[in-house]
Amino acid sequence: MHIPDHYLSPQTCAVMTAAVAPAWVVSIKRIRLDLPLNKISLMGVGAAFSFLGMMFNIPLPGGTTGHAVGGTLIALLLGPYAACISVSMALLLQALLFGDGGILAFGANCFNMAFVLPFVGYAVACLLAPELRNGVGNTAAGSGSHTDPKTGMLTGASSAGQTRKKLIAAAVGSYAGINAAALCAAIEFGIQPMLFRDAAGNALYCPYGLNISIPGMMIGHLTIFGLAEVIFTVAIYAFVAASAADGSSAFSAAGTFTASSAAAHSAGGASAEQSGTPLPVKILLGALIVLTPLGLIAEGTAWGEWGVDEIAATGAGYTPAGMANGFSFNAILPDYSLEGLPDWTAYILAAVIGTALLLIIFRLAGMLGSKKTGASAA
Amino acid sequence: MTETILRVLALLAEGDDDPALSPGQKGRYSPYGRQGLLRRAAPPLRLVTVLWCILLSALSRNAVFTTGILAAGLLRLALLPGRSLIRVLQRVLPPLGFSVLILLPGVFLGHPRTMLTISLKVLTSLLLLALMSIDLSWKEVTASLGALHLPQVLILTLDMTIRFLVLMGRLCQSMYEALTLRTVSAGGRRYDRARMEAAGGILGTVFLRSGEMAAEVTEAMECRCFNGTFRTYEKHRLCGADLVCGLLLPLVTAAFFITGR
Repeated sequence: MHIPDHYLSPQTCAVMTAAVAPAWVVSIKRIRLDLPLNKISLMGVGAAFSFLGMMFNIPLPGGTTGHAVGGTLIALLLGPYAACISVSMALLLQALLFGDGGILAFGANCFNMAFVLPFVGYAVACLLAPELRNGVGNTAAGSGSHTDPKTGMLTGASSAGQTRKKLIAAAVGSYAGINAAALCAAIEFGIQPMLFRDAAGNALYCPYGLNISIPGMMIGHLTIFGLAEVIFTVAIYAFVAASAADGSSAFSAAGTFTASSAAAHSAGGASAEQSGTPLPVKILLGALIVLTPLGLIAEGTAWGEWGVDEIAATGAGYTPAGMANGFSFNAILPDYSLEGLPDWTAYILAAVIGTALLLIIFRLAGMLGSKKTGASAA
Repeated sequence: MTETILRVLALLAEGDDDPALSPGQKGRYSPYGRQGLLRRAAPPLRLVTVLWCILLSALSRNAVFTTGILAAGLLRLALLPGRSLIRVLQRVLPPLGFSVLILLPGVFLGHPRTMLTISLKVLTSLLLLALMSIDLSWKEVTASLGALHLPQVLILTLDMTIRFLVLMGRLCQSMYEALTLRTVSAGGRRYDRARMEAAGGILGTVFLRSGEMAAEVTEAMECRCFNGTFRTYEKHRLCGADLVCGLLLPLVTAAFFITGR
């Protein structure tokens, strides 16, 4: 779903960036207002989950590949606004360091995966199970306990049926979210030949119209990739909820935008520095990093992510002029590979670098936020 | 820039004077967070491992080895407590930015890879050094140098140099501040010339003062019967962490050769 450069016209890229910019602004404002400061570093953990999830490529018959995004997962753990910023940061890192997704198309990619996906996924999940708004600590999968949304304390027992309902809602939400995002990407691809053609009638950018782009994108996402997103979201959500059941996890209390968020926000300032990533979550991140080379099993290129040299052979019959003459950005680790290193080693290295950078960036943001809060309080 | 250098040197020289440390902890280990596995290893072993990694990174002819070491360093950085994370970045980013600035013309002359390669090596070296300074106090560094049988006079000179640089730097800074406060001028060429002359005066004064300070230090050493030979009173007991750290050395060396140097 990472749209490379030159598949969308610069005009489309500008429009998509303008469309996602208000979402970024509102998300940052809401995070400042509502998310406890000690949870901002956990946005880095969420971004790392998303980053790693996108490295697990899944093959589909016909030579195409796809992956989970994890936007709904972060939305359920920390709220949709935090998910928007977390996934945006993961996408930015992918574009700049690994050349996954275009620089010009960054706004479009963020619109699809960082805005549409988490917000649709979260809305659908909360529609099915409104108690999901109270945060992950409330799920307590398998333990039967739940968190008081006002105090963040474990107060009683919730039925296994309620837990199952939340997990089903998370599954449906994540499925709806990734398909909504894929549909948006398909429409962005599909309108290119309608809007931008040269004198000979050839498309300047993406050569496939809506009649091809929508089935091309949606078949994979409605089946295997949607299922991958569901499994990724539900498995990690259940894991984090189980580790939050004893209240020891940083995700356990006031994790999302609840009625207690404002109070938690001010209280979080003091503990922002002390808050760390829970050990089970660290272990899970480590396991995901080690397992990332599984994503290399899938050969082929995802639909709409072909290189300039590949596009003609996909059935287009020609290389669109906009693609052939566009600028090229040389990423430091293009396609998560490094010359002179086996693919699997380079993949793990890329996963380590990406995860570490995301954790550092969000921890710094959390600490700077707590400093500002401390200064304004003084 | 001057302030940053002074701050870094001061941190080195006063690394053990952190108020967070209890008297029993001073000089033993870093106060920043819990003692992890590698922090329990013998300081000389940790020092040698870090210096060896920096040396191999500098010698490597491709980006593979350096990127691998950088990835390990970043992972370590991401797992540090908040305060240590900030301190490491404060030490790494200003010199890194300076080196990028120096190499920037190369990009416009058509050699962007050069800037990338050198910046990558600078970043790796700085990060490893900054992480080491978080894990090792300055006293541990000097003790490690002694354990590695470096000449005592060399260690004494190094120790003195760091401390004198901080003291002299502070002296320079306060004299310059005093001079600026006492100067009334609308600026211009004459003012700049006067400032340059004043800078010469400051340097001369500092030079004279350094002689006095050296004499004072010698007297203080004689009073305390210190002849320049350091003694280590605490003995390190071998543990599993030493084995892990010891294994890292051949592993890193093997990685260096496997990745084609």
